[in-house]
Amino acid sequence: MPTGMHNQLEILLEIQDLKAQCEELAAQGSNTRRVQEEEFRLDVDEAVAQLREKIHELEDRLTPAVRQRYDRISKSLHRVVVPAINGLCYGCFVSIPTSVASESGGPGQEQMRTCENCGRFLYVIS
Amino acid sequence: MVLREFFNKDVVDLDLDGDGKDDILKELISLLGLDEKSEGILFKMLKRRENLGSTGIGRGIAIPHCRSLVVNRLRVAFGRKKEGVDFKAIDNEPVHYFFLIVAPPLEVSNQYLPVLGKIAQFAKEPDVPQRLGEIEDADAFLDLLEEKAV
Repeated sequence: MPTGMHNQLEILLEIQDLKAQCEELAAQGSNTRRVQEEEFRLDVDEAVAQLREKIHELEDRLTPAVRQRYDRISKSLHRVVVPAINGLCYGCFVSIPTSVASESGGPGQEQMRTCENCGRFLYVIS
Repeated sequence: MVLREFFNKDVVDLDLDGDGKDDILKELISLLGLDEKSEGILFKMLKRRENLGSTGIGRGIAIPHCRSLVVNRLRVAFGRKKEGVDFKAIDNEPVHYFFLIVAPPLEVSNQYLPVLGKIAQFAKEPDVPQRLGEIEDADAFLDLLEEKAV
């Protein structure tokens, strides 16, 4: 487990990555589905069911405050967590304040960072 | 678009140390030069994909892959473990050659699936497993990709 990372953000990242994979696999007739079936002999329907179950498990691990924000953003925006690169929110492409973008404190002291414009959770990529 | 465009010497390791799936995945991830927290998240995602079904496609080759927000563009790596490791491949044979592919969830260039397909195509070339076993340095690996022009 990496140190210094907010556990809730890590869960959100996992949820989002799993959702991306799940959506790609679930799309009937998609190339992703075909490649996974033909090259990897993956039971795609079973894989999608497993991914959805895992997503629900992870959602249940969010704290009430984070879950509330997550549910609210999910209703209107496709992506709940977006990268922040070079001081830019990659969800709405608006600059974020330096104080939000910069790493703060030591391990265990990090705050969940959100975009003041679109409200998404931010994953700062240095 | 050809595979050679995506690889360079820095993402090739012909002497992986790991003896198991987890160690191999971690070594492959380390070739990407990500920060520690990103490496941890990526490892989890690759493990989740492996738990759905092995990415070992047979003939000693595996293509661990996933989408993750921890990368901002398509990233690839290649590793070799001459002794082979149990990767639960579809032919139940040890895996010696590993192609790692990671792409962000939203990818403007949309290269993830084509690259995955091309590596699978490359792996099916009759002489590829043997030649991957014979190459002596990263340059030879890149030359092989170039020669095959996949």
